[in-house]
Amino acid sequence: MCKKYDTVIGLEIHAELSTNTKAFCTCDASFGGAPNTHICPVCTGQPGALPVINHAAVEYAIRAGLALNCDINRYTRFDRKNYFYPDLPKAYQISQLDLPLCINGHLELSTGTVVRIHQIHLEEDAGKLVHDDYHGESWADYNRCSVPLIEIVTEPDIKSSEEAAEFVSKIALYLKYLNVCDAKMQEGSIRADVNVSLKPAGSTVLGDRAEIKNLNSFRSIQRAIECEIARQTEILDGGGKVVQETRRFDDATGTTSSLRSKENANDYRYFPEPDIMAISFTEEDIQKAKNEIPLLPHERVTKYIKEYGLTDEDARVLTSEKYLSDFYDETVAVYPEYKSVSNMFQTEIMRRVKDTDDEEVPISAQDFAKVCEMADKNTVNRNDAKTIIRIMFEEGGSPEEIAKTNGFIVVEDTAAIAEVVDALFAERPDLIEDYKNGKTNVFGFFMGQANRALKGKATPMSVKAYIEKKFSEI
Amino acid sequence: MVTVSELRKKLDDKQISSVELTKEYLKNIKANPSLEAYNTVCEDEALKAAELADKKIASGEAMSLTGIPLAIKDNICTKDIKTTCSSKMLESYTPPYNATVMEKLNAQGVVVLGKTSMDEFAMGGSSQTSAFAKPKNPFNTDCVPGGSSGGSAAAVAGDLCAAALGSDTGGSIRQPASFCGITGMKPTYGTVSRFGLVAFGSSLDQIGPMAHSASDCGIILNAIAGQDVHDRTTRKHSIDFTSRLGMDIKGIKIGIPKEFFADGIDEEVKKSVMSAAKFYEGLGAELIEVSMPTLKYAVSAYYLLACAEASSNLSRYDGVKYGYRTDSPESYDELIKKSRSEGFGTEVKRRILLGTYALSSGYYDAYYKKALAVRQQCRAEHDEIFSKCDLMLTPTAPTVAYKAGANIDDPVKMYLADICTVTANIAGIPAISVPCGCDKAGMPIGFSLSAKRFDDALLIGAADVYEKDHPHPIAKI
Repeated sequence: MCKKYDTVIGLEIHAELSTNTKAFCTCDASFGGAPNTHICPVCTGQPGALPVINHAAVEYAIRAGLALNCDINRYTRFDRKNYFYPDLPKAYQISQLDLPLCINGHLELSTGTVVRIHQIHLEEDAGKLVHDDYHGESWADYNRCSVPLIEIVTEPDIKSSEEAAEFVSKIALYLKYLNVCDAKMQEGSIRADVNVSLKPAGSTVLGDRAEIKNLNSFRSIQRAIECEIARQTEILDGGGKVVQETRRFDDATGTTSSLRSKENANDYRYFPEPDIMAISFTEEDIQKAKNEIPLLPHERVTKYIKEYGLTDEDARVLTSEKYLSDFYDETVAVYPEYKSVSNMFQTEIMRRVKDTDDEEVPISAQDFAKVCEMADKNTVNRNDAKTIIRIMFEEGGSPEEIAKTNGFIVVEDTAAIAEVVDALFAERPDLIEDYKNGKTNVFGFFMGQANRALKGKATPMSVKAYIEKKFSEI
Repeated sequence: MVTVSELRKKLDDKQISSVELTKEYLKNIKANPSLEAYNTVCEDEALKAAELADKKIASGEAMSLTGIPLAIKDNICTKDIKTTCSSKMLESYTPPYNATVMEKLNAQGVVVLGKTSMDEFAMGGSSQTSAFAKPKNPFNTDCVPGGSSGGSAAAVAGDLCAAALGSDTGGSIRQPASFCGITGMKPTYGTVSRFGLVAFGSSLDQIGPMAHSASDCGIILNAIAGQDVHDRTTRKHSIDFTSRLGMDIKGIKIGIPKEFFADGIDEEVKKSVMSAAKFYEGLGAELIEVSMPTLKYAVSAYYLLACAEASSNLSRYDGVKYGYRTDSPESYDELIKKSRSEGFGTEVKRRILLGTYALSSGYYDAYYKKALAVRQQCRAEHDEIFSKCDLMLTPTAPTVAYKAGANIDDPVKMYLADICTVTANIAGIPAISVPCGCDKAGMPIGFSLSAKRFDDALLIGAADVYEKDHPHPIAKI
């Protein structure tokens, strides 16, 4: 069946920057803390207090802009966005309207779609309200007030919910690689507003759009868009008109509902922030920022393939998360056996840390490098090496200690090999006859028996070599 | 009336102690309740500070303001001392921090006598919009002391403090100084930190001194000025504000802008101000007639800019975090609407509405943007004038102090009275008001000198030369 409508999606992604201090004061900007402990006269909007821009936040925003192929405005300014809400102590948010830090960027998706980025601007987060429905009370926690945010605004270039989810997850990954945002959706450090509209397939005229606010997981972004597409399709199929409005998504019911219509939209009365001087950048400033950009995910993929000789598939898996890629890099810096480390990492490390929220490997890269080396050099058997990693994860300890206490260290005892294998050959002349008659699979029997008897005293490789030598002498 | 520099000498020579001096002023304050100069008098804190100051003086560590009793306008944040802005909204507000100027004054060991009354949130020219004390003019208590720093002006003129701090957004230091026969100065925008000054029009506000002499203004500015890490609109400078005292006036070019002497300016005021100009001419200054055509738009532009910024600055008073909160609101909307309706006075509400309107979508270009264009033009005209002149001399106010209650029902008339002072704020230049005699009824008249940005020391020097020959009028009180 031919598609009736084209979907048009634009995104506004809010990402909290991981600076040590807040955007306009020196309060701790980290997540959490007992309510109202990371606050001061500035971020609680005390009369007379003034904002002072945190230059680290400006640098972080520029780094994000450069990585997303933006132009950096050489002259940038802050504006006040005025509205009343109890989580906004000054009753205005310091943001950027006309002269944002970054403009005209883009990011390509795996579908080949190039999503243009209209602008990235710097602003401050609001506080958090805690509602006590039982007592009918609301409490304001201003710890998050004035934590720096960047808002990434795309052009309406996204064509499906899958593309939207990919875009957001790609942005999240980029921001992590840039060390500008920890991108923990469960802590609200990345949130998205999506604009969805439908137009007749092939038409160039955009339809009326609805905006769905404050989506805070990749899954809810995708689901909200899907149900919004379904809702709008039904309206248009019935000959109706989509109302331009702001909607909210209910994760529990999987439906969107109206928040406010265009007519009731806030008039934010933007005007230039008089307390913060405009900022000018020189070419040198921009060049310096460019030089400070670390390798991005796709650049690490290329490096892994070209310099480390890994396969495309391996390179992609290893770079899927920054902390994994960082751990791999740290390991090969100590023990540069790229392929072998990659294999051990994928089988033994990744499966253990996947699905945890910590984004951290609980063992050290140095210890992991040691285990890889022990396995490669047959200091321990490969299977025992895996056991060592399991013990390190579960109980901790250094690889050498674990190998010793568990008797995993292989001692190459050539006399013992000869003794054991010679005895086996003497015991089973029948199998030697079989071998002579072409039944070469008896080889496996000798290997298995010998390895079992020689556990910890010889590597399977030496045992194999000796058995081969015995057979060749028959 | 004793100046700060005279008091310094007395303190250093042990003719008087800071405690004695402080008690003297506290006695004066108690003896003159009808002046209503103060919202809060800090007797205990003042005496404690005076004791500390005396120790400092005794150990030879006195600085220029150590032990000097000062009054502080009630919109400058003082830690642990109420800062009300003369508004019901902040009636019980005690700041958790000190304004930068207070940190600097405390480091000197000044004595803070109290917080002076003012127009509510510094909005007005009479100090009668105060929700609390309504200051009166020491020269005639039926008359207003001017505003918005009327309490500070009345306190200085009434000898209820040695000197005071005020704030000036459109003339709020200079006009009350003129009405009360004292010297008041608005420094160049960016000279004194605004951190801790409760914001009215952020791009216009400056804290400044109000005192018995231009020289005192210089001493106080030396103590409070300087770049501040908490206020990025402050500029780095190393001005010694007293460096031009007793300067040679010969060859100084003084611009007389004809628009400032047009209709609407009281004849007696014109005459006194022109005689001040003649005084300088007599010392060898050259008077040059200059022109500022944008003056006719200045008041409109000023009120648009100041009110637009104020509408945003005053939004934080929502009853949520501090300040006035209405009783048992039913919802957040009601909490905020009722708290603001009940907490703010008429003039403040009028200006919030005006500013909100000017910034609203659909009106922004016609009002706020136009006002910015006037500001640009006004700055350009000042640059032009100061390329030809060192100073500009004008009246400070079109009239002398008027009776309390006059003008109060005619806001536009009241706004227009700011015509002589707003351009200095719009252009960000320094301006000082100096007393130049009294009218027939004995009410003081002031003239203003202004100069290019950061030429503050020149203003103080030129004003000082005038004052050496023309003592300030003294209130009968």
